[in-house]
Amino acid sequence: MKAERGNLLLVLPALATFAALFACPFLYFFAISFFSMKSYRMNFTPTLANYLHILENNAGTLAFTLALAAVIASLATVLGLIYAYAMRFRFQRQAEALLLIAVLTLFGGYLMKIYAWKTILGTQGVLNLGLVGLGLTDQPLAVLLYSPAAVAITLVNFLLPMAILPIYSSLRGIPDIEIEAARDLGASPLQQLRDVILPRAAPGLISAFALCFLISAGDYVTPALVGGTTTTMGSLIAPQFGSFFNWPLGAAMSFVMLTLGVAAIFSCTAAVRLAGQLLR
Amino acid sequence: MSGVVWRIVMLALVVFLVSPILLLAFFSFNDGGIAAFPVDTLSLRWWRAMIEDQSFRAALANSLWIGVTVALIASALGTMAALGLAQMPRRPAEATIAMLSLPLMLPPMVLGVSLLSFYVRLKVPLGFATVVMSHLLFTLPFVIIVVYARLRSFNFAMVESARDLGASPMRAFMTITLPNIRLAVIGGGLLALALSLDDFVVTFFTIGTGNTLPTFVWGMIRTSLTPLANAIGTLIIFFSLGMTLVAAYLLRTSRN
Repeated sequence: MKAERGNLLLVLPALATFAALFACPFLYFFAISFFSMKSYRMNFTPTLANYLHILENNAGTLAFTLALAAVIASLATVLGLIYAYAMRFRFQRQAEALLLIAVLTLFGGYLMKIYAWKTILGTQGVLNLGLVGLGLTDQPLAVLLYSPAAVAITLVNFLLPMAILPIYSSLRGIPDIEIEAARDLGASPLQQLRDVILPRAAPGLISAFALCFLISAGDYVTPALVGGTTTTMGSLIAPQFGSFFNWPLGAAMSFVMLTLGVAAIFSCTAAVRLAGQLLR
Repeated sequence: MSGVVWRIVMLALVVFLVSPILLLAFFSFNDGGIAAFPVDTLSLRWWRAMIEDQSFRAALANSLWIGVTVALIASALGTMAALGLAQMPRRPAEATIAMLSLPLMLPPMVLGVSLLSFYVRLKVPLGFATVVMSHLLFTLPFVIIVVYARLRSFNFAMVESARDLGASPMRAFMTITLPNIRLAVIGGGLLALALSLDDFVVTFFTIGTGNTLPTFVWGMIRTSLTPLANAIGTLIIFFSLGMTLVAAYLLRTSRN
């Protein structure tokens, strides 16, 4: 009993940090979303005005943001699965090096990678010079940069390591013997993938998708740097805390985005599970 | 799919992952005025310009102070938490870790603006302290996860023997536990340092007026493609990748 209390005491500082710097700010932020601004001061009378405002004015941006995030998260998850599958089943000897590349690109360079894509996708960028050099186009393609596609490419690049790691860790949990059994019983590689590997990889795939989806839905730096006129919820929320100075509206926008995002993840997961059961 | 196709696919994915970083570094050596091709001559011109820039030096000092403080606090609190959790039943321990990792699931912008409004409400002046506290939120879970993973294979009976032989809890920790988990603790701290040095979004909202390297470089890259930004960016990546590389090595050694 005494030892148990000691263990709890050890965890206490971390829990206190979490409560003071995550739970409290988050709840306060939720409360703010029901306030309003009057001549640059917060008015603490609760109102649903912010949410109604979003419903009237930002429904299109909201739908676009979630759709773009879904495309980005799907791409990152599929590429992550390919990378993780190759590490686990195809290139076991190089697995450690491949894993290191994923870990290194995970922990560094968020802002600088976005900036680098500006130099890759621009009209004087690496990609356009290559295309012109190969004679594929005679004019540099201006649409590569400052478009939703540029946002998607950049975010997939940034999120890919975050997709690889959870998928790889779930693939590592599959014992070789199960794959061998399936193969010995005559399952083709595709059947092995569908019947043995994918069901076991499901938790990793789901967390990869969820993480990529939420983070890309809430990103504002990428649209600002490479998106041109592309407007996402992130590019609406960030200025509310800067030049527009409307925190209540910004808070309400954040919660609408998060709630719909989480709801979308849950329904996608449910749909995928259902489809998986029907296929078997 | 055949072997050749797999090779091409993996090569393409690796190139996709690393090419932005390599190009970023490459253009920092362009002697010309823009971070793009054509690159006529390579030089250290922009690196020199960077070192001579006073506001760069201030931002570098801020980044390092913040990063080191975050790393020290995160590894202390994270190691304590992991020690407590590793001696609890597995289920509640891992549920607690999952809860503490929640801030990692949120878009950093939401984290940043909710912290900003909270600090302002409590009249905490924005600056060094608010940035350090905010960074703890997303670095602490990494330290806990890494040290907890190491402690799962640690035999706590050794600590009990030391205690039975009359060692104080502190002495038992210093002579038995810490030497065993040392590499994981340092590795976790370095990951925290890497994440802190690299963070832009949360810092941007919680720093007030000063600058760290990422917020400093943000002002440059919004409007232009100057190789000066590439030099600073390369330095940031060099720091955070270097820390991560050492951390990965230490964590691998600690497992064996």
